[in-house]
Formats: sequence, C-alpha cells, structure tokens
Amino acid sequence: MESFTPYLLGAGMAILLGLDRTAALQIMISRPLVAGPLVGFVLGDIPTGLTVGMLLELLWLCRMPVGASIPHDDTQITVGATTLAIALSGSLEGGVGLTLGALLVALPLGKIGQSVERAVRTQNQRLPAVALARLQNGQLPAVERLHLLGLGNFALGALTTYTAIVLVGRWLIISGAPFFLALLTRQADWVKLALILVGVATLLQALNVRRAYGLFFGGFLFTFLLLGACR
Amino acid sequence: MMSSGSLSVPLPRRLFFRSFLLQASWNFEQMQGLGALFVLSPLLRKLYQGEELQQACARHLSYFNTHPFMAPLILSGVAQLEVNGAGNEEIEEFRQLLMAPCAAMGDAFFWGGVRPFAAVVAMFFALHGSLLAPIVLLVIFNLPHLLVRIVGFSKGRELAEGVVDFLARCRLPDLAIRLKQATLILLGILCAGLTHNTLNLAALPWHWGGVVIPVVLMLGWLARHRLSPLLLALLLAAVILALPGLY
Repeated sequence: MESFTPYLLGAGMAILLGLDRTAALQIMISRPLVAGPLVGFVLGDIPTGLTVGMLLELLWLCRMPVGASIPHDDTQITVGATTLAIALSGSLEGGVGLTLGALLVALPLGKIGQSVERAVRTQNQRLPAVALARLQNGQLPAVERLHLLGLGNFALGALTTYTAIVLVGRWLIISGAPFFLALLTRQADWVKLALILVGVATLLQALNVRRAYGLFFGGFLFTFLLLGACR
Repeated sequence: MMSSGSLSVPLPRRLFFRSFLLQASWNFEQMQGLGALFVLSPLLRKLYQGEELQQACARHLSYFNTHPFMAPLILSGVAQLEVNGAGNEEIEEFRQLLMAPCAAMGDAFFWGGVRPFAAVVAMFFALHGSLLAPIVLLVIFNLPHLLVRIVGFSKGRELAEGVVDFLARCRLPDLAIRLKQATLILLGILCAGLTHNTLNLAALPWHWGGVVIPVVLMLGWLARHRLSPLLLALLLAAVILALPGLY
C-alpha cells in the first residue's frame, strides 16, 4: 500500500540537502553518496539509499560549481530516486529492479534542476538593488534579512525540482513497471557496473592529470591480476 | 569610528559562522556580494554609525566572487583592515588582489582534488554495502575543508596584507595534483574489484574482465567528445537491457 508520508519526508530532505549544494554550509551532505543513505535513514531503508547514492556519486563528481556554472542536480536525483524506490516498494514488486528503475527515470529529470537553479539565481539578482535601497534608508537588519531571503529562494528551487522528479518519475515508473521491472532485476549487476564505469570514464576525462589513463589502468591491471591469481 | 587594534573575541566567531551562509543570495550580478556584506555587517555595525555605517555597507555591497571555503581568509583580512582604519582603496585593492587566486586555488584543491579523492575512498565502503561510506566521505572532505576555513580566518586577521605570501607557501595546487593522481590509482583498484565481483556473480571466467579496458577507453573517448554522463549512462543501460541472456 502506497503512503504519502515518504514523499513528505523526502520533500523535507530535498530542501535540507538542496541548501547544502550552494546556499549554505557546503559540507557535502548533498553528495549522492551521503544524501542517499540519509534519505534512506529517514524513510527507513538505508540500503536502497546507499545503492542510489553509490551509482550516482561518480557521474557528475567533477562538474565544478564554479562561478556561474550550474552542474546537473545530482542531489535531487538522489533524493527523488530514493524516495520513489522506497515509497513504491509497497505497491510494486520492490528490490533492486525498482531501485534501478527509479534511478534511470530520475536521471534525465535532474536536468530540470539546472533550469530551476538558474531561475533561482536570476531571481536573487534583484536582491542587491533592493539591499542598496534599504541601506540608503539606514535599514541594515533588513539587508541581512534580504540575504536570508535568497536562502528561501534556493529552498523553494530544491523543492520544485524534487516535486517535478517525484511526480513525473512516479507516473513513468508505474506505467513502465510491467515492461521493465523484471528485466532490470535480471540485469541489475550489469547495469550497476555500467553506471559506475560511465562515472569512471567521465572522471578520467575531468581530472585532467598527465598520464591519467596510465595511472588508472596501472591500478586496474595490478589489482585485477592479483584478484585473478587469488581466485 | 572605533580605534584600530584587534577584534574582540565574540565578534570574529560571529563573522566566522556567518561565512557558512556566504552564498545564500548567490546571483549572476554580484555573485557573493550581498553575502560578503552579510558576513561583515556585525563588525561594520560596531565600527561605524549613521552615515558612516551606510557608506561602509554600500562599499562592501559590490561584486565578490571566490571559493566559499577561502572566503573567510579574505573577509577576515578585510575585517582587520577595517579595524585598522584602512582606506576604501586599500580595502578594495586587497579584495581584488585575493579573490581570483583564492577562487582558482580553492576550486582546484577542493572541487578538483579533495572531493573526488574523498568520494572514491568512500566508494570502496559503499561497494561492500557498508554504512561507513557516507561517514568516510564527510570526514575526508570536511577535515581539510574546516581546517582551511579556520586557519584561513585566523591568518587573514593576523596577516592582512601578508596573506598572499602565506597562500603561496601553502602549495595547494601541488597538493591537488597529488590527490588527483592518488584518486586515479584508487579508481583503477575500485574498478578492478567491482569487475571481479560482477564476473563472479555471473559465473564468468575472470579474464573477461579485460573487456572493461576497451569499454572505459571508448566511454572516455565519447566523454571527451562532449557526450554528457547522462547520455552515456542511459545509452549503456539501454544496451545492457537490450542484450537478453547476459546472465
């Protein structure tokens, strides 16, 4: 039986973790590998959150939140996918197939997060002008509140992205479940390996170090041969 | 205006904690400009009153953009210059001098070095289903993060103009390269372990793992040609789902 509570709790986590991305703290609780298990903990299923977080962690790891660049919103993908996987496990056949289904559905929806964050930053653009006007009236506390209003905009942005992912994602999963769930469950280990390999390949490009491939394949071959010899 | 000297203890603490909210009103125009004023405002209120306060605040309500973890270093230096009674031009010059180098160093060290390293180490735990994974990531990332914030804040106040020499001595770009190299080796080890496990589960001979090498090379080539991770992930997942009987 599907309950509304996980979606509500997920929304709270989406706001909290979304703020850590840019607006406050930046202690990396917004990273998928941390956000996933945290959402899982709140919703009562940590392993599902850990699986989602682990598969997403490397994909956009090196997309830097530098200056005006806005990376793909992997935080809300994690929160949305974990929430969907846990919330729907009561009404659909749960397990790793559903987790992967929720993740694959949430992945492209994360694009919404980029547009939403751009809108939030544009919305914040009016704040300095308003702040200057308040300053001219000698209202410094009002200027400080304006700054915190920006925090509210970021929170609203996180909630918007989460809601979009959950609403569209839920519809897609329920519609596609009869066709994909069994297949995803059967191929789960290969899909997991594939997602991590994509993350590894993009990281190899993004780390931008001389002899990157040499260092990577050195580590790979040494360990692989060692494991093969011990088998 | 208050006489020059050092800041009394509770005030720096307030400035430091406020620096965690530096980016709350991030925008395309002034970037962290309003945030910088938010961090400094308790000090400005203490130093100035009336018209002088308005002018001081307006001075700080301007373009400010640097790495958020390096910002305490710059802002505490600015605070010290304010306390020392430095002129507008001197303060502005100090801000301009440090913003870009601190941003470049912080980006390379934290986003390019520490974060990937912490994530890859944590992935070893995650692949074994260990709940230590998120804790490991948080600890490895936040130790240098908080250290740089705290030391930066205190050095900014102590050194003010001498901050540039201090930054040069820290050699953060060199450290970032070492961390990246370590990350790449760990990534190779991680991949080997994961491939080995997947082949074991599929009951396939271990030497099939060699297939991973051309796959990673191909994915890397596609990534270099601007194919997004999103597209690559969806394409590869689609290929796997379209290949029946892989198991």
